[in-house]
Amino acid sequence: MRLSEATVVIRPRTTWEAMDLGVRMSQQHRRLLMTSWAIVTLPLFGGLSLLLWDSPSLAVFIFWWLKPAYERLPLYILSKALFGETPTLKEALRQWPRLLKPQLLASLTWRRLSFSRSFLMPVVQLEGLGGLARQQRLRVLLQRNAGAAQWLTIIGVHLETALWIGLMVLFYLLLPQQVETDWDWQSLIFAVDHQWRWLEHLTNAFYALILVIWEPIYVACGFSLYLNRRTVLEAWDIELVFRRLRQRLNSSALGLLLVVCLLLPGVLSAWAADPATAPDAPRLLNQPLNSQASHDSIKALLEHPPFKNKETVTRYRFGEDPATVEKTKDSKAPQWLKTLLGWLNGQHLNGLAKAIEVLLWVVVIGAVGWLIWRYRELLQTFVSRRPSLPVRTKRPVPQQAFGLDLSKETLPDDIAARAEQLWQTQPRAALGLLYRALLSHLLHDFNLTLKPADTESEVLARIEHLQRPDLLAYSRHLTGHWQNMAYGHRVPAAHLQQELCDGWRSLFGHGAAR
Amino acid sequence: MLETTAPPGKATLTPPLDTRHQVETPEGIDLPLRPAGLMVRAVAFTIDLVFRGLILGLLFMLLALLGQLGIGLGSLLLFAVSWWYMVLFEVLRQGRSPGKQWMGLRVVHDDGTPVGWSASLLRNLLRFVDLMPFGYFLGALSCLQHPAFKRLGDIAAGTLVVYSERPLKRPSLPDAEPRRSPVPLTLIEQRALLAFAERQGELSTARVNELAALLAQPLHISAPKAVGELNGIARGLLGPT
Repeated sequence: MRLSEATVVIRPRTTWEAMDLGVRMSQQHRRLLMTSWAIVTLPLFGGLSLLLWDSPSLAVFIFWWLKPAYERLPLYILSKALFGETPTLKEALRQWPRLLKPQLLASLTWRRLSFSRSFLMPVVQLEGLGGLARQQRLRVLLQRNAGAAQWLTIIGVHLETALWIGLMVLFYLLLPQQVETDWDWQSLIFAVDHQWRWLEHLTNAFYALILVIWEPIYVACGFSLYLNRRTVLEAWDIELVFRRLRQRLNSSALGLLLVVCLLLPGVLSAWAADPATAPDAPRLLNQPLNSQASHDSIKALLEHPPFKNKETVTRYRFGEDPATVEKTKDSKAPQWLKTLLGWLNGQHLNGLAKAIEVLLWVVVIGAVGWLIWRYRELLQTFVSRRPSLPVRTKRPVPQQAFGLDLSKETLPDDIAARAEQLWQTQPRAALGLLYRALLSHLLHDFNLTLKPADTESEVLARIEHLQRPDLLAYSRHLTGHWQNMAYGHRVPAAHLQQELCDGWRSLFGHGAAR
Repeated sequence: MLETTAPPGKATLTPPLDTRHQVETPEGIDLPLRPAGLMVRAVAFTIDLVFRGLILGLLFMLLALLGQLGIGLGSLLLFAVSWWYMVLFEVLRQGRSPGKQWMGLRVVHDDGTPVGWSASLLRNLLRFVDLMPFGYFLGALSCLQHPAFKRLGDIAAGTLVVYSERPLKRPSLPDAEPRRSPVPLTLIEQRALLAFAERQGELSTARVNELAALLAQPLHISAPKAVGELNGIARGLLGPT
């Protein structure tokens, strides 16, 4: 046995995990295990059924009783496959008669009903122990994992039954209707007629089929439990690593180095005794960057992104701890239930039942109503006679353009006069006022549609559509100067003041300032 | 925590069979999940079944006192328990129904994240496919043949039933003078040395000596003293406690 060639990961597992490993092992060699099992058992089952045609129950009982004999084959295959020497189907079948020899009688008689059968099978078959040696071995093995092995068998019994019944139900479900109507289940169950024999043998055959699936898994699970027990008992995983370490050390030149080291025993013992060699002790003390400084700076670096991205999340929570709330609820519930029960026992009982019924109906009707309301538009397209026209949404009047407030209320009464006044001190404000007032008038008096995203030239293009040459000319004039002022910071010449204000007055008049 | 006992050269050819399911996070961390197989899940399911039966039996007895109202409430209850028992426990209790908790199992998504509403609902609604045609016939077959032991509902919902991590006990090491290893050791070798010291109580003395003798010659220590020396190295690896 060479542990280093094991095809499974050897480590101590819990018993359930060990069984899972067995399932995995049986999955890996699924085809080989199932075919070999089928080749061995199905002809035997056929023979038994033919021999005991008149007593099908006896046939299946004998078939069931002989299970330990067939189980030796999957165990042989699995034990070979564990170390990578998976046999072919032919080799495995040729080995089977030889495998049957040791202690067959015992395993078919007084050991047949043992609940840890699959767990202990490897002791006889793979270790070849018998008599007293076997007894001692079993005592050691069963110290720890006996319960798991028994559980495996108990689960197996139930699983076999469930799968067997399942297959029968499946068979019944797949029967054609015509055949089924002729059958009366009661007559099937209490049939003493010979004509139903074949059906009993058929259901027995289902059992043989189920075993093809389940038995290799059962054997593999027992085998993996056995492996796991021995791994724990004999520390196979440690041995494996030790052997590999030994190989590494012996093959590398390190061995030589080691001899040199060992020639200076004083140094070694000093290392062993000196606490300064511990990994956390300060080192490299005689240079500008010692271990402490580098340690600190690494720590500081690790505190910043990208190594650590701190984020503060603030959330609102209920003040009470949910755990305590639950507890108080729990303790209150029985009292509440008692009072409710006492109350329910009175005359209100039927009334309450009605109330709950009404409540449930209200919920149902409410839910249906909500669904209809939720999908009303979808329903309208199917139900309503007139096609509904898409409603034209009215565009809201923009309140601002280029950051200028366009509402009428913010403008002064006499815009031209105010602009003249401002011109001396703040020409920018004066031009801004004029332009703002122009936009406001366009918006409110001429009902021009201005979008918040419009540029000055787009506004001019819209004014063209109004077919007012005087307004257009003035607007162009004002816009040009405003753009020079706003973006170019070029102050318009003094004579323009009069020109623009007069133009304003002639266009909008004194009274129409607002 | 990649731990492999296969020889490094062979590991790439066919990875050795293991019950671990490695999930790699975006940060490049390997999370070893241990999917649970049919046997332990069957036991957990049975416990849940009994528990549910007890709840329903008790409440039905109480509700039987209430006459017609009791029948109505009972059928509502039957619906709630049979369809929501697993879902509510799984989502609200980190994937553990009472039976699973008892057996040390929990349900997670395939990537190891806690199971959510949709996945839990899906995997529990599909129980009705799994138990066709009788007693979890399809579910058991699927569970036995899937490498991560998934039943059909698990495959559809993308969930996994795994063993939950149990709190570890601090192992006690035999007393020995802390020592430095004379050769640099890899992580796996350090672990093996620590395990050697920790599990000494469970092994027979003959076996302990045999194991220590394996390393006596390459480490140039005399065979009789090997156990003590290895314990010393393990102590040194453990550090001050």
